[in-house]
Amino acid sequence: MNSTGNPYVPILVIGAIGFGFAAFSLVAAAITGPKRYNRAKADPYECGIEPSPQAAEGGRFPVKYFLTAMLFIIFDIEIVFLYPWAVTFDKLGVFGLVEMSIFIATVFVAYAYVWRRGGLEWD
Amino acid sequence: MNAANYLYVSALLFTIGAIGVVVRRNAIVVFMCVELMLNAANLAFVTFARINGNLEGQVVAFFTMVVAACEVVVGLAIIVTIYRSRRSASVDDASLLKR
Amino acid sequence: MSIFTAPVLNYSLLAPILIVLAGAVLGVMIEAFASKAIRPVAQLSLTLGTLILAIAQVWRIRHQSSLTAAMGSVAIDGAAILMQGAVLVIAILGVLLIADQEQFTVLAAAVPGSEEERESLESGQKLTEVYPLTLFAVAGMLVFPVSNDLISLFVALEMLSLPLYLMAGLSRRRRLLSQEAALKYFLLGAFSSAFFLFGAAYLYGYSGSVSLAGIRDSVVGGSGNDVFFLIGIAFLSIGLLFKVGAVPFHAWTPDVYQGAPTPVTAFMAAATKVAAFGAMLRIFYTAFANAYWDWRPLMTVIAIITMLFGSFVAIAQRDIKRMLAYSSIAHAGFLLAGVIALNKAGLDASIFYLFAYGIATVGAFAIVTLVRDSTGEVTDLKRWAGLGKRSPFAASLFATFLLAFAGIPLTSGFIGKFSIFSAAYESGNKAIVVVGVLSSAIAAYFYIRVIVLMFFTDPADDGTSVVIPSMLTRITVIAAFIITIFLGVFPAPLLNFITSLAYFIR
Repeated sequence: MNSTGNPYVPILVIGAIGFGFAAFSLVAAAITGPKRYNRAKADPYECGIEPSPQAAEGGRFPVKYFLTAMLFIIFDIEIVFLYPWAVTFDKLGVFGLVEMSIFIATVFVAYAYVWRRGGLEWD
Repeated sequence: MNAANYLYVSALLFTIGAIGVVVRRNAIVVFMCVELMLNAANLAFVTFARINGNLEGQVVAFFTMVVAACEVVVGLAIIVTIYRSRRSASVDDASLLKR
Repeated sequence: MSIFTAPVLNYSLLAPILIVLAGAVLGVMIEAFASKAIRPVAQLSLTLGTLILAIAQVWRIRHQSSLTAAMGSVAIDGAAILMQGAVLVIAILGVLLIADQEQFTVLAAAVPGSEEERESLESGQKLTEVYPLTLFAVAGMLVFPVSNDLISLFVALEMLSLPLYLMAGLSRRRRLLSQEAALKYFLLGAFSSAFFLFGAAYLYGYSGSVSLAGIRDSVVGGSGNDVFFLIGIAFLSIGLLFKVGAVPFHAWTPDVYQGAPTPVTAFMAAATKVAAFGAMLRIFYTAFANAYWDWRPLMTVIAIITMLFGSFVAIAQRDIKRMLAYSSIAHAGFLLAGVIALNKAGLDASIFYLFAYGIATVGAFAIVTLVRDSTGEVTDLKRWAGLGKRSPFAASLFATFLLAFAGIPLTSGFIGKFSIFSAAYESGNKAIVVVGVLSSAIAAYFYIRVIVLMFFTDPADDGTSVVIPSMLTRITVIAAFIITIFLGVFPAPLLNFITSLAYFIR
């Protein structure tokens, strides 16, 4: 890495690569892909579920969406604590490893509870 | 840019959230306003961390995010349960306890 | 890049907290993997075992006091040990009440009145999730009064609150009322913790440090922006005053006390007060002590309003749980007098009062769980008439707890009130003493009225009776009774113990 240049140059480069890749994919797909349209393809995409003007039960989403969302939030946010640990991993040494293992173990306990109690079953 | 401007934004967000809690009637909207208040506090913490030149405020912001997520989960569970029993999430309908 | 070293945690000093948390996690494992048949017994013994082990650890570290653990985040000083001990004793009595599973619904998620709910009730299963929830709440209550920086304070505040929000909604009878209590408690609690956090942010902005010691240094040194300090102290106090149920932040108290299952109310009313006042005492006695001129006048006004409001409104109540809720508001006012006193006597008196009040509260709500008719608990005050003639034993015990609340001599409440008011007098705050004695007199009126109702009114024949208590409930009631009377007659041992230990490290 060029140590004398502007430190933001690498970020710019990564941004340019990302943008270039996205543009390339779109253009390449438009040029090379076969074009066979049907009704299903013209529908708006909604996570694999039949899109409807209103969700069932008068515009409300079923409770299972809430359950899934809640589980996602809980397990997702714990990552916040993993980042600082990853940054100082070498300085914290064994202490950090043990503490984070305990932390992850407790998250797994929650996961085991959800799994055993049927929180992961869709129906 | 002057760091104090972020404090003004944070105070504004906090006020919007607090007003929302008081005037809105839907439990979920009330709850979202509380989350807005928590995030306003987070912004204040990060701004003060910048002003004071140490990292403690940013650490607090991490913890607040996690605690807020847990609060979301507990809150949604309670609100969904009460919605299923009453078919309504309005805090005005929940008035059995007013004697 | 700053030099970064691994923190030192002092596990030995954190042992009580860690044991309770480990017990809670084990409890979740039992929920996940044990069969339904053995869960109730396994959970109850695990919970009690955990709490007793934690008390033993608190006892072990009592002389290693005046240390900080976890890099100064937690202060294990004499006052911390006393408050942790009080929380744990109250928690054990509370868990013995919670073990009476008649009070709890089986399937909290089921819609009230639905087929699903009926099936779950008929299956004879038990709701055992309440035990790990209790342990998590206890862990939060152990951390809250010993927290020495703003991060641990906020995390502990939420850790003790979140399980309680859920527990408030678990009542078996009158499900809608219970769910509504949970919703109100949750929304108002989250609202107040947002205020707490915003205040914490401004205190951090004022002092540049999240530790209470750092804030204290800034206050003593007089450096920093005073506007930040005043905003911080005001918003932080709102959060704390909400948790202790002081006027004008008391609105949730009667609703939640009434709607929650009575064993949960007992545990919550007693243990939350200890934890929240513990944290409040620490914050005001250490971080804010030198700025007392900024907060004392307003806090005095709040204390006076709280005492008077709680006492007056309690008179008008027709429901025994609501009456006890308003009485708890009045008691929050008395305890605030101890916070405002800001001297050693005030600290000693507050800790004694918290312990005495907590025990009497658990005892009183334990009796409330026993007065039932065919549909469940009877909380309508009118139907308590003549209870003393029908079941003199239970009624006398309840009368004892009421007399302790009123502060009649020979009960723990008298010693508590006397020492609080003398501490307030010593600090030169005569107004609060006058109002305190006055509102005690008002409060005594409605306590005595209930006693008269129980003993000197003819019972109506409406099926109200005192059920035979289970062994565990009996232990709670008897233990609470013995402690209440013992502390009233021989307060010296505990008072001396508190006086010798109760110091905050600065």
